Amino acid sequence: MSQTVTSRRQRYWDLRAAGNFIGGGTGSGLIVVAAIAAVAGEPFRLPLALGLGFIAAGLSLVWLEIGKPWRAFNVFFHPRTSWMTREGIVATVLIPLGAIAVAADSVPAAVLAALLAAGFLFCQARILRAARGIPAWRQAEIVPLILATGLAEGSAVFLLAGSHAVPWLTLALLAVLAREAAWLAYRSGLGGTPAAARALGVFATPPARLARAAQLAGLAAVALALGFALLLAPGALAAPATLLAWTSGVLVALSGWGVKALLITRAAFIRAVVLPVVPTRGSGGRHARPV
Amino acid sequence: MSASAAKGVREVPSFCYNCVAGPDLMTVRVENGIATRIEPCHQAEAIHPGLGRVCVKAFGLVQKTYNPHRVLTPMKRTNPRKGRNEDPGFVPISWDEALDAIAAKLNDIRARGLLNDAGLPRVAATFGHGGTPQSYMGTFPAFLSAWGMIDYSFGSGQGVKCVHSEHLYGEFWHRGFTVTSDTVRTRYLISCGNNAEVSGGVCAVRRHADARIRGVKRVQIEPHLSPTGACSAEWVPIKPKTDPAFLLALIHAMLFEHPRSALDLPFLRDRTASPYLIGPDGYYLRDPASGKPLVWDEITDRPVPFDTAGARLALEGRFTVADAVTRGPDDEIRPQRDAAARTAFTAMADAMAAHTPDWAAGICDIPAGTIRRIAAEFLENACIGETIEIDGETLPFRPVAVTLGKTVNNGWGAYECCWARTMLATLVGALEVPGGTLGTTVRLNKPHDNRLKSVQPGEDGFMVAHFNATSQKDWMAQPTGRNAHRTLVPIVGNSPWAQALGPTHLAWMFASDAPKEWPDPELPEIWFAFRTNPAISFWDTARIGRAMARMPFIVAFAYTFDETNHMADILLPDATDLESTQLIRVGGTKFVEQHWAHQGVALRAPAVEPLGEARDFTWITTELCRRAGLLERYNAALNRGAALVPLKGEGYDFSLATDQAHSVETIWNAVCQAATAALSEGKDVHDLDWFKQHGHYVVPFDREDWFLTPTMVRQGLRYELPYQERLLRVGEELGRRLHEHDIHWWDSQLSEYVAIPEWHDVPERWVESIRSMGADPADYPLWGITTKVMPYTTGNNAGIPLMHEVSANLRNHGAVVINATTAAGLGIANGDWVEVRSPIGATQGRAAVVQGCRPDTVVIPGQFDHWKTPFAKDLPFPSLNTVVPLSLALTDATGSGADVVRVSVRRIAAPAQAGAA
Amino acid sequence: MTRYVMVADLRRCVGCQTCTAACKEGNGTPPGVQWRRVLDLETGTYPNVNRVFVPVGCQHCANPPCMEVCPSTATGQRADGIVTIDYELCIGCSYCAMACPYDARSMVDHAEYAFGEQPTAVEATRIGRERIGVATKCTFCAGRIDAGTARGLVPGQDPEATPLCVNSCISGALRFGDIEDKDGPIATLLAENQWFRMHESEGTEPGFYYIWDKGAL
Repeated sequence: MSQTVTSRRQRYWDLRAAGNFIGGGTGSGLIVVAAIAAVAGEPFRLPLALGLGFIAAGLSLVWLEIGKPWRAFNVFFHPRTSWMTREGIVATVLIPLGAIAVAADSVPAAVLAALLAAGFLFCQARILRAARGIPAWRQAEIVPLILATGLAEGSAVFLLAGSHAVPWLTLALLAVLAREAAWLAYRSGLGGTPAAARALGVFATPPARLARAAQLAGLAAVALALGFALLLAPGALAAPATLLAWTSGVLVALSGWGVKALLITRAAFIRAVVLPVVPTRGSGGRHARPV
Repeated sequence: MSASAAKGVREVPSFCYNCVAGPDLMTVRVENGIATRIEPCHQAEAIHPGLGRVCVKAFGLVQKTYNPHRVLTPMKRTNPRKGRNEDPGFVPISWDEALDAIAAKLNDIRARGLLNDAGLPRVAATFGHGGTPQSYMGTFPAFLSAWGMIDYSFGSGQGVKCVHSEHLYGEFWHRGFTVTSDTVRTRYLISCGNNAEVSGGVCAVRRHADARIRGVKRVQIEPHLSPTGACSAEWVPIKPKTDPAFLLALIHAMLFEHPRSALDLPFLRDRTASPYLIGPDGYYLRDPASGKPLVWDEITDRPVPFDTAGARLALEGRFTVADAVTRGPDDEIRPQRDAAARTAFTAMADAMAAHTPDWAAGICDIPAGTIRRIAAEFLENACIGETIEIDGETLPFRPVAVTLGKTVNNGWGAYECCWARTMLATLVGALEVPGGTLGTTVRLNKPHDNRLKSVQPGEDGFMVAHFNATSQKDWMAQPTGRNAHRTLVPIVGNSPWAQALGPTHLAWMFASDAPKEWPDPELPEIWFAFRTNPAISFWDTARIGRAMARMPFIVAFAYTFDETNHMADILLPDATDLESTQLIRVGGTKFVEQHWAHQGVALRAPAVEPLGEARDFTWITTELCRRAGLLERYNAALNRGAALVPLKGEGYDFSLATDQAHSVETIWNAVCQAATAALSEGKDVHDLDWFKQHGHYVVPFDREDWFLTPTMVRQGLRYELPYQERLLRVGEELGRRLHEHDIHWWDSQLSEYVAIPEWHDVPERWVESIRSMGADPADYPLWGITTKVMPYTTGNNAGIPLMHEVSANLRNHGAVVINATTAAGLGIANGDWVEVRSPIGATQGRAAVVQGCRPDTVVIPGQFDHWKTPFAKDLPFPSLNTVVPLSLALTDATGSGADVVRVSVRRIAAPAQAGAA
Repeated sequence: MTRYVMVADLRRCVGCQTCTAACKEGNGTPPGVQWRRVLDLETGTYPNVNRVFVPVGCQHCANPPCMEVCPSTATGQRADGIVTIDYELCIGCSYCAMACPYDARSMVDHAEYAFGEQPTAVEATRIGRERIGVATKCTFCAGRIDAGTARGLVPGQDPEATPLCVNSCISGALRFGDIEDKDGPIATLLAENQWFRMHESEGTEPGFYYIWDKGAL
């Protein structure tokens, strides 16, 4: 039975809310990569601090979005079932711990922060997954997508804020590939409901196509930068290699942010009313007697 | 109650009569002197067919009251130039100045005479929708009565926006100003575009919903899927304006494809003119001595007068009548010797023979099988021979009905539809009996409160009919009003309502293009307008607006500025629905589906104080009369009953002294007491204070009085069906009169006066009108029609934001509804801006792409295109009125036209001024 | 136990929006916020088309997804099944609006008026500042129910204890009452007719029943 689509786009989460998912994803990913760098003995304080900054910026944006910012403390009231409460709780531990790791140059603290950042990102993924009003978020593939995008965008920013040496380019490439895989899986899952199918329409619009093209360009750029770094002796042509790595980082991060902004603000259609049956409107039966 | 009172909460009983489907009872909740919400009148659940509820429109009355755009002081125009692009320069004035200015004009006119040199009234008045403004104009009718001759012919949509032909023919055939199904009992309902679920009011909506649960089968025949179609068991998309072919084919199927026993033969024989013999010249064969129509007596096998005792009347057959006369036009008595005669029934069957379902299928775009099935289902459900008991009376039970919608029911083709619908009911004896097709109330006959009392014996065994004279002696060669209703439309008669039911667009058309045969229909010197906006609600609104701008002195009772009062000279702010006092009738049988088992009166008392300088209409009227020297006549009119009921009756006398100006409360106190005394035959007398507490007073209304047939039986009368000898004669006489005066521009209308309607190519008239405008029909390939949504149905609601907001939940609000396949072919997607164009202009709006619309039809709901009314002017909505021409050629013999036009549709860029509606 | 539920008889509903208007006026919701509204849906292909009017709003689920996600515990549930919002707790994050499969929640972050910048006299009395910046939705007119039951009235039967939309409904489509009253009108109505609930697969157990035909399930 064909039915006129009646789903409405969600009306309340705008770019500020998207900013939380962008900042939270990138920041979490960046903290995780920074912790790996810390374990590897690489400098990690700047990217870790930046990661915390991304998360804090994202949370600040959402603080600006909510209707009653001076009651923000109430966000902590419902840990039993609300992933938003859990996100808030994780953030309140993560940010001071991360700050300690930066201030004290502490690798263990950085590792603990990375675990919390991963948890924070998982909370964000589950926030969307629990939004039962929005089929495009409700599907299971949203969780790997949010995790992979966070890691990809964080590792991309690490190329700018940390190191763009071969291991980090490799990590970035793997993360971007994971993001591609998660995206393809996510996208193929859309279409199950009319509301989710409308998300497909959004992803076919010019801004979405541009963002996706940039994502693919980012993938190519990371691969190119890695190839460039692998083929050429370290040190030789350092400037172009750096430029390439930075470009790839910018492309991967910005394109990811673009897609995420669309995912939150534009591709989010509320579940349509679906009629399982058509009501009977009278019958004409000979047995119908006046009441 | 006391707790509520302590918090400053009051619940004020009132009513809503913003559309003809009312009045309905309601409660206004008032908190600390401010009306906060409307609620149903739950106390009326037992007496009101809609369980004391009011429709969505009533919920707009709070916003209406507190609309910041209200005109709240009297105003006068300072710019003498009038027109859409002229700033009227309204400036506030005092009530004294406003009323004195009007009174001075009135006094001047009275000194010179009420009629101008052409014999036309110098004062004109127009009120809006369906007589409902009368329920909000307090004692103004007493002023109108006190004044004398007034021209009501400048319409605001009458004949176009109403079920015009039904008004005239319905009342002629069965005292049905509007016609409905006996929904509470019917089993099978053929609805040709009747939009009961949108415009039938709360009583209809409730009754039809209950009927659906009971299992009624309603088949909805209409070009697009309205809410009524949606809520029907079956939707049959029909090509616009081909309903006559469909209905005639149903008659054909019933006459030629089913045994006669499927029909109600006793009803046809005894209650109709079916047995009357038709002579070779098309007129009834009459007894030369008595002049009575002849019938064929099967016992004596010879013709006898129709009322011969003991005769067994032949329903059908062809006979030879040795000696008779016929009465032709102008009382020409024509001797008939050995005349070939056939019964009226046979004449009808002969005329219907060619109208087969297969023939109709090609015209209506409905499969012949569907037509046959519907005819068969109608017969099957008619329950011929069954009876039912109503309040102790045994009556026929014929639970099948046919109802007609607005565009089916006016303009060309409407006569055929009205006749065919009434004949379908008649064939199975389902006219005016339980379960069948019923009239509701009367307006062209009297009394208005009980139509059964209007039934009096007339000529030839029929009810009396009050036609305008067409004889050489009495025909009104000179129009008495600017639409010439008494001159051109005999059937409309000359009751107080008749003029507004004449061809009201002619008054506007003749204002600029007067027929050469008549004196220039000089415009009225004063035009009163209340609750009406013809500059929006008529066809070719630009042309109407130009005509209006030529009116020399317009007094508009103004709620906000609007497109009509933009041309006014004086604006008077009347207290609106929640601020004013009036007692009106409720119950009995009223327009549409108000069928109550009670009748009585209901009070509207001020729930809140009038805002600003707004004044109660009764106060305004009294003051106007005082200043115009009409006080005595005005009070006398009140005493006679101009404000609802005579103030003096058997056993009571609440008459007002005629030499003084009475307060609003004094007047309505007297009306309240007189009304209750009359209703209760003196047992109960309730004053205004009682009504302010209780809201309404009712007494039982006999449910048997919903049906006309028992009255017809008691008086031994026949329905004037199937053969229309009277109309045939009147048409011939009218033609002679017009031609005697060298008037030939009404000739095509004369063609409608036929004794048995047959198909003529109705839709082709609209195609032809494109050619007559010098355009190529191929450029206008689609039908443009209109429909309604309930929040705007016949209510003046366009300036109320709440109505707009809730209507936006409906897919067609403010849109151009178009079929999905057609839209795809034109590259139009849902929500795209489109332009709908006819040869006279274009209107723009967003497309609502749907499946539930014929591919050859677009639908523009409501009436918008406002350019002055606050809020409404910012709605970027299309309006069919903008593109429908005012056209004599598209005017039928009753003076009505239909909301139909051939259009083109194309996608356009969003207009620059389009707001985000 | 009591569980209040709404019943919408889709055979009756004509899409007139009287309930929408009555709710807006009675609850003083700002422009654009509709706790009760009626959808105008179409199914099929010309000429075999159905148009169906579907009253929607908060379904007062037994397992409300909005309550699950609400971080502030502002969304609660009464013993009688009515899902509530504590305007003093709500932070206005709108997460509940994303979680509601029924598109039933609204939020406005500043006062808006029907005629533009300035409130009308009636709007000025009912601005409801506590409802700005927080989530709002249909309350089943809980205040009426509580006031009515306190006076011994029966919700769904006595108008003063019944939601305004139900009181206003002109076709008789909307009905309300305690489904746990096994011999009561609501239980009887549902037992005698076929009904569905929206998005049952989400496990929300809505307290909103849609009747579509006669005959017991």
